[in-house]
Amino acid sequence: MEKLKNFFDFRDLPRLDLGIAAAVGLALLVFPFFPFSSFAMSTVIQFLMFSLYGMGWNTIGGYGGQVDLGLAQYLGIGAYATAVSMIRWNTPFWVSMPVGVLIAIAWCSVIGYSVFRLKGHYFAIATIATSLVLKDIFEVWRFVGAARGLEIPATRFSSPDFLHLFFTQDDTYYYIILAFFFIGILYVNWFRKSRLGFQLRSIKDNEEVARSLGINVQWAKIKTYAVAVTFVSAVGSFHACYVKNIEPEDTMSLDISILIALMAMLGGAGSLWGPLIGAGILIPLKSYLKEWLGARAGLVGIDLVIYGAIIMFISAVEPRGVWGIVERIRRRKRA
Amino acid sequence: MEILVGSLVAGLLIGMLFALIALGLTIIFGMMDIVNFAHGEFLMLGMYTALLTSQASGLDPLLMIPVAGAVGYALGVACYYGFVKFLLRGPMVAQLLGTFGLMLFLRNLALLLFGSEDRTIHSGVLVNRAFDLGMGVVVPATKLAGAVMAVISFAAVWLLMHRTRTGKAMVATALNRQGARYMGISTERMNGLAWGIGAATVTIAGALLVNFWSVTPYVGLLFTMIAFAIVALGGFGSVPGAFFAGLIVGLITEIPGFWDFFTYLTGSSWMAGISMTPFKYTWVYLAYFLIMLIRPRGLFGWKN
Repeated sequence: MEKLKNFFDFRDLPRLDLGIAAAVGLALLVFPFFPFSSFAMSTVIQFLMFSLYGMGWNTIGGYGGQVDLGLAQYLGIGAYATAVSMIRWNTPFWVSMPVGVLIAIAWCSVIGYSVFRLKGHYFAIATIATSLVLKDIFEVWRFVGAARGLEIPATRFSSPDFLHLFFTQDDTYYYIILAFFFIGILYVNWFRKSRLGFQLRSIKDNEEVARSLGINVQWAKIKTYAVAVTFVSAVGSFHACYVKNIEPEDTMSLDISILIALMAMLGGAGSLWGPLIGAGILIPLKSYLKEWLGARAGLVGIDLVIYGAIIMFISAVEPRGVWGIVERIRRRKRA
Repeated sequence: MEILVGSLVAGLLIGMLFALIALGLTIIFGMMDIVNFAHGEFLMLGMYTALLTSQASGLDPLLMIPVAGAVGYALGVACYYGFVKFLLRGPMVAQLLGTFGLMLFLRNLALLLFGSEDRTIHSGVLVNRAFDLGMGVVVPATKLAGAVMAVISFAAVWLLMHRTRTGKAMVATALNRQGARYMGISTERMNGLAWGIGAATVTIAGALLVNFWSVTPYVGLLFTMIAFAIVALGGFGSVPGAFFAGLIVGLITEIPGFWDFFTYLTGSSWMAGISMTPFKYTWVYLAYFLIMLIRPRGLFGWKN
């Protein structure tokens, strides 16, 4: 019971933050009642999904300082676990998602056990290498549809099917991912104040000191990695049901991994709201730039040019992201 | 037997070009501990430079190597003073993502300017020429030229680093930045120079590569990963290491050929049943992973 209370305990945060967060949360709750276009709807769903990915990355990358650039492989594992079992055995989503999470955790312990000995660049590139190896395997593995991927046929189940997460209306998908989103925030809120969260921050500051204080560094990292992977893989399963058509290229590519890391980076790694801010800025920007400039004006690639320029600007000017700017302003006010 | 010798020769030849591609990455990493994700994009721009200038001027693509080198040098220096200089002040995370942003920027700029279709060079002194060495070993002139140029470039960079004052200043900066500054070396200038040389070598490699490899805006990532693997194997920051590691990685990419040879040699049916071609580059990634676990310093690494 005591533990459960910690999930809902936001008292250490400034009141202003909580007010804004509550307002945004309410706005998200009532969002489908307003007549927005289906494009706006899918953008907001994307936003929720990427905030969740970002929250996952934030546990290991933000609080722990281990820059993982291969998280998309777990997205792929989750998505494929759901898609394969749904197509072959009609397994409900609520069964295949935990199974996918378990597979992802098993795989991440194997990877994590070996790569967590590395630091800095070496660690980041090693995670990229592992995700590319897995992607190459998926691209030739016929059981999972090889390079052409898998498709859940549009007539497979009758529409409101909560077991298989099969709807024709985006609204229902929206509320399901929104529920995930709130659970994710509550979990990270608990995580940052948990024993593991504090251990992780001390590892980030100085690994030697952390070890000398009796923290089992390797084990703490692997546990946190499992948390991050759970987030990514669970939302990956949702992605399979929502998009219904998955390929190795758009679930496991390096671009997705970097995008995930970027959510937290841009918003502010190691803060509770960071990934949400990052996703809130990047996802609408990306999809609307693509819609306006890419599709209408016929300028293919200009959206990502601007996107790349923004990443360059942020990393050169304010490496701690938007949250870094906010904190700097606050500190100045206090002084 | 022909398959074996053929694969060996092909692997070593392409390996030298891979080494040239990785040379710039290892120089830059050695100087300022920054991993450049946009490295493959520099290569792509070198390929486009050689292809477009030779098509526009009607000259042979080989003559465009100096042009590509000059473009690369300018690009590298511009990247350093305009962008990387600011990145170096930030934490490692920002550096990783910053160069990734550069990669996205350059790749999609190329997509915007040149379109997404595959482009190849159809005419040129080297294109479609080959030397038959006997034993069924055919050496394409394009790859031979790449290998020769790679050896020349490595020799040039080695001489620059060890025989000239500027080069020695660069090595000093790489070894101890603060100490170098006390000795009156402008470390800022050395960094800019390292970016210039690093980018120039990789664009030259691109100008050679485009003779036998079609170019699209997306060609960069594969070569970035190959270059990472080479640099990791050779030791981050080591120039001779990059050369030998390039040869090894070249041989690794020829694993499908060796696989065919052993299939033929042993006559086993299960080996024949497995096609290795889709995994051509998977072995490179795997090699990177294993090297990092077993010997993170690489074969010739001198930095910890």
